[in-house]
Amino acid sequence: MSPVDRRSFLTRSAALLGAGGAGALVGGAGVADRALAANPTDDPGTGAGAAVAASNLATVEPFEGVHQAGILTPAPAHATFVVFDSFAPDRGTLAAALQALSRRAHELTAGGPVPLLEVDAPPPDSGILGPDNAPDALTVTIAFGASLFDSRYGLGGHRPLELTQMPTFSVDELVPAQSHGDVLVQICAQHRDTVVHTLRELVRTVRGTLQQRWTIDGFMGASRGPTQRSNPRNLFAFRDGTANPDPTDAALMRKLVWAGANEPAWAAGGTYQVVRIIRQHVEFWDRVGLLEQEKMIGRYRNTGAPLGGTNEFEEPRYDLDPHGYRIPLTAHIRLANPRTAATAGERILRRGFNYHRGFDEAGQLDQGLVFVAYNQSPARQFATIQNRLNNEPMIDYITPVGGGYFFAPAGARSSVDWVGSELFASV
Amino acid sequence: MAAKRTAPRALLVFVVVAIAVPLILLVTQADGGHRAAVAAPPELAVYAERAPHVLSQLNAYGVQGVVRGAPSTPPSALPPLSPDRFNVPEAEYRAFAGSQLGLMEGQITDLEGALAAGDRAAAQDAWRGAYSRYLELGAVYLEGQIATLNQAIDGNPGGLPGGIRSPQFTGLHRIELGLWTGGPLSSLLPYAHKLAADVRELRRVLPSVQISPLDYATRAHEILEDAVRDLLSGTDVPWSGEGVLGTEDGILATKEVLLTLKPLLFKRENVLPVANAQLATLEGVMERLKAAHGGRLPTNGELTQEQAELLDNAMGGALEALAQVPGALETAYTPVIPRIPRSAVRIDQP
Repeated sequence: MSPVDRRSFLTRSAALLGAGGAGALVGGAGVADRALAANPTDDPGTGAGAAVAASNLATVEPFEGVHQAGILTPAPAHATFVVFDSFAPDRGTLAAALQALSRRAHELTAGGPVPLLEVDAPPPDSGILGPDNAPDALTVTIAFGASLFDSRYGLGGHRPLELTQMPTFSVDELVPAQSHGDVLVQICAQHRDTVVHTLRELVRTVRGTLQQRWTIDGFMGASRGPTQRSNPRNLFAFRDGTANPDPTDAALMRKLVWAGANEPAWAAGGTYQVVRIIRQHVEFWDRVGLLEQEKMIGRYRNTGAPLGGTNEFEEPRYDLDPHGYRIPLTAHIRLANPRTAATAGERILRRGFNYHRGFDEAGQLDQGLVFVAYNQSPARQFATIQNRLNNEPMIDYITPVGGGYFFAPAGARSSVDWVGSELFASV
Repeated sequence: MAAKRTAPRALLVFVVVAIAVPLILLVTQADGGHRAAVAAPPELAVYAERAPHVLSQLNAYGVQGVVRGAPSTPPSALPPLSPDRFNVPEAEYRAFAGSQLGLMEGQITDLEGALAAGDRAAAQDAWRGAYSRYLELGAVYLEGQIATLNQAIDGNPGGLPGGIRSPQFTGLHRIELGLWTGGPLSSLLPYAHKLAADVRELRRVLPSVQISPLDYATRAHEILEDAVRDLLSGTDVPWSGEGVLGTEDGILATKEVLLTLKPLLFKRENVLPVANAQLATLEGVMERLKAAHGGRLPTNGELTQEQAELLDNAMGGALEALAQVPGALETAYTPVIPRIPRSAVRIDQP
């Protein structure tokens, strides 16, 4: 069979998935594709198109944009974080690898049929999602660590002002093998297999140039109400994200999330991304009285309301409780966000995921939070908050074991632009 | 106890979700769920003895399933204890801790001698002895001035800027690093001298250390919680791997706490006999480990898969039993959290 024949199988359009639903996709499936033709369930009622429609696999989060996707985007059910170290011999090679990374991320987030080449060549896509890569609300967010700006690539003079290696906070027990690194890629989607597929494809894209240093998988609690707005729970069983600033408030995001005017010009539209792998000692937590748990957090476990309140989104009214009779002065929510005029500018946009990764050496569940925060200034925001939390009573039950500081540049402006292009153009 | 099979559907739903199916019938038969049961159903008696926390879970689900909307925690039936009653137990523990520090000073003297003589094996032995004595202080609550001394004596490099190269990293674990990674012994002498001074200082201030009744009762399970989190995980003993040894010291300290609390725990929810039984099981495991390793406790890395499971299992059982202690020793009724006045309620709009 000639290569031309093979490539003719690619006529099914990627747009069919997004535009379509069942009818459009089934039309596509009529094209001579060996896998689908051989599929005995390939009929309009039960075929892949129906599955795509039923499970929102067709949802597209565009890769291109003023800002990268995966920052203000509502967090879907699954995530993987992977951090690479660069072994590119020079800046040009590094730029090419990053360009390829964006290109592949663009293809995967858009979705579409898997190209076929020579049958005797390894397929260009692992194919683990089948002959069509459904977009599944996939986002790929690319960010740079401080080490990328060291002497290797001549980027030092262009480093975002506050991009340093994440400092060691007094609560930390950072494991070097899961901390820091050159390039962070955050992969989020509605289904686990989409995330795993994307990881596999992207790692392949940069193989030989960027080497994976550490990775962690996260999941989001399902939306379990009582209302649409109710936040899911972390693995301490408390609702998480209640006091997050509203990501749809563009003016607020300019104040709290996007890089300030003092940053290098290429950094405009970007944000500092803090990732922390926070182990939660869940067996220990489960042996603590409920009241003590609630006092450590400052909220009721069931409703998520601040202590003394009834509604998750009720203000805790610290102004009426200056001595902490209702919400202890050391409660997590009170230290994290004192809700004063002076601390309003410290707020961060959190977008964390729960993790579970087996047992530790002592047979204890290795579970916790992949804490993710986007902020304009780690010094003014994240680090200030973290330093207030270093002595909170909850520290007995958590151990931050990894993570890092990264800078997520602006989004790609077009399908041929790539994340980081302005940095390399400015050198 | 009435044997009813007509448990409402809600009860079954709760229990099915939570527990293995074979247990369901036993539970629903044993207690209609109208009140918290205090004893195990006969069929579960053996299991309740082995895993008392499971019994309390079953009972809680029984109560909740019937009375929908009832408080999620059944109110404790025990009247609070007077806080004064903790004075004697805490004084006894402080005396015990002081004597351990005295022994530790002797071990540090041995350590200094072995370091000066260049005898690594003897220095490691003395280090183990000193570390063990220190861990037996488990119930001394580390706050304020004591926290600073504790950092100097037993601090880890993890939270220090610069990690193992931090000038604040000086105590037992700095010496551990040198002893187990082959550094020159003479370079460790200054750390041993500083350790001796810090321990002397701790011994001086120890009699004035105050522990709140709640904190003291909580240490009954927290000492071994720390052992699981920090020692058996290897986190605190990365170079020597002596987590099992440290755990044995945690058991000793926990037993001392329970011994001092014995008069207070008399007839309080049967907590003490159950905890003692679980600790006895755990001690039996320690003896088996010693027997399997030529009379000494293995390091974390020397545990076989089977031995690690055996130990982790016994620790889990002991911890679940010990976690019942603080609840049995409340010194006050559960405080009522004041309400936010209706007129002051403000909802954050999205």
